[in-house]
Amino acid sequence: MDEPAILAFIEFSPDRAILPVSLEALSAAKQIASALQGTLATLVMGADTAETTQDLKFYGVDAVYSIEHPLLASYQPECFVSSFSGACKHIGPKVVIMGNTLTTIDLAPRLACSLDTGLVTDCVEIDFSSGEILFAKPVFSGNVLATFAIASAPAIVTVRSRAFEPLQRMDIASGDSIRLDPAIDADFIPAPVVERVIEVQEVVRLETANRVVSGGRGMGGPEGFAQLKELADLLGAALGASRPPCDLGWIFPKAQIGQTGEIVAPGLYIAVGISGSTQHIAGMSTSKTIVAINKDPQANIFRMADYGIVAKYEEAVPAFRDALKELLA
Amino acid sequence: MKTGKGLHIIVCIKQVPDPEGPRDSFVINSEANRVEPRGIPPVLSLFDENALEAALRIKDVHGDAQITVLSIGKRISNAVMLKALSAGADELLKVEDERLDPGSLDSSAIAAVLACAIKQLDYDLVLVGRQAADWNAGQVGIMIAYRLGIPAITLARKAILDGEAVIVERVLPDGYEVVRSALPAVVMTSNEAGELRYPSMIQRREAKNKPVVTWGLGDIGIDAPPANKVVLKRLSTPAIVTGACTLIDGATAAEAGRNLALRLRQDKVI
Repeated sequence: MDEPAILAFIEFSPDRAILPVSLEALSAAKQIASALQGTLATLVMGADTAETTQDLKFYGVDAVYSIEHPLLASYQPECFVSSFSGACKHIGPKVVIMGNTLTTIDLAPRLACSLDTGLVTDCVEIDFSSGEILFAKPVFSGNVLATFAIASAPAIVTVRSRAFEPLQRMDIASGDSIRLDPAIDADFIPAPVVERVIEVQEVVRLETANRVVSGGRGMGGPEGFAQLKELADLLGAALGASRPPCDLGWIFPKAQIGQTGEIVAPGLYIAVGISGSTQHIAGMSTSKTIVAINKDPQANIFRMADYGIVAKYEEAVPAFRDALKELLA
Repeated sequence: MKTGKGLHIIVCIKQVPDPEGPRDSFVINSEANRVEPRGIPPVLSLFDENALEAALRIKDVHGDAQITVLSIGKRISNAVMLKALSAGADELLKVEDERLDPGSLDSSAIAAVLACAIKQLDYDLVLVGRQAADWNAGQVGIMIAYRLGIPAITLARKAILDGEAVIVERVLPDGYEVVRSALPAVVMTSNEAGELRYPSMIQRREAKNKPVVTWGLGDIGIDAPPANKVVLKRLSTPAIVTGACTLIDGATAAEAGRNLALRLRQDKVI
């Protein structure tokens, strides 16, 4: 292939909806394909990929590759990596892009090892200004932006959720569907899954939520989080927290937002009783609109916020919630 | 190191500038393309503390397990690493060399050096944090496993030993899965693995007498770290979004709450 191919790995939810972060990765891939005058390709893997493959044709993609196999029904490192690297050997992409998800945290470094190439994780910006494709990511708790080149091919990149605008669906289908059938070596799975346990603790998942209501040490206890839960439900938002409430057991550990937890970038982030430690800021600073409610006017969170109230949350939040209820009714 | 009685666990720990340091303490030296921390102390990377805690929980059950902390770098502070020994690690192994500057090595180079060091040891389990708290790449654990040709299990919130196998609870978006792997293996912990325990005064005193071994690159059989695949081109300060906060007032806090809702609607945020 003369034109360089840019390949986006597309993940989908159990109900076969393409993950928002995959459409964001696809948008980043499209930027690169345009800059390099290359082709835009996608790769889907699963036990049944027909619906997703068909759906992807509405995103202006040149080629939609799919790998279908019963062993790909859920993520398993060896099966996914051998399929993916087989696909890369066939397609010969210049860049491979995917969303930064719990799956790709495991998959991307393995793929880099398998293809003996370089990987930049958690990319937030792509820079073509020097003629070379460069990938930028936040380092040192978000205090520094580091820009990297990848000296080997394919360049592998994962993109941070919400860092790129998702590619929009079009009315007309285009592109070729191509089924790949790389050999999957299922004989050697060194760490087989013994059981899967589903703990549905949150109605709205943090990583995909467009609105997040989050509480900090200032909530004072689990009762405070019960109030925030009401606010979150009203807004269709996910419930989050800074680290201390998770450590203190006021809320389940997976609610943690920050460098040691989930990194989120929702359209609306409401921080209540959160002082704004560097570690927390690193997990939410790229949210579109940030609202802070804190009794301490000096709290660091106000430096990040677009809107703020200096008040005790016990007094401000119920009135805020009641007013929202009227407005959203 | 392994004397044939207990299991030998290696925990890879990185020393990083305190991630909670104020923004202006991360000074960019553009000429050298380096971040030079000013006025903040080095600390153990938080994520590696999770890995050490996971090792200590195994040792709580298997008392004869030996835990070696392995760290590579230009210069590694014994004072910083003392925290790991106080918490219960048995010994510290440092690989120091001028060329082991973590700011100029990519993940694959760091993993190659760590794997060469690990190969010199008799080991059963290697524990690594999910990412380093400075560069956040999150790749080294898997890359060590590939170099050693042993299984890697990521996002471990719990690891227990069962005979010659490790059983890991691995974090999933909506729960967890239990995987079982033969030893030796590399396990990368998630932050749910737990915070590092707090040492007692006695433990802290005893830690000062625990063995500290320092190796050079020659001791691990390499002349230099391998070339980077990922090349740092530039460092910059991200745009700071400060001073833009619109404070919403009201005669009472309740009124401010109400005004906030109205303002968000007016600005089409909701």
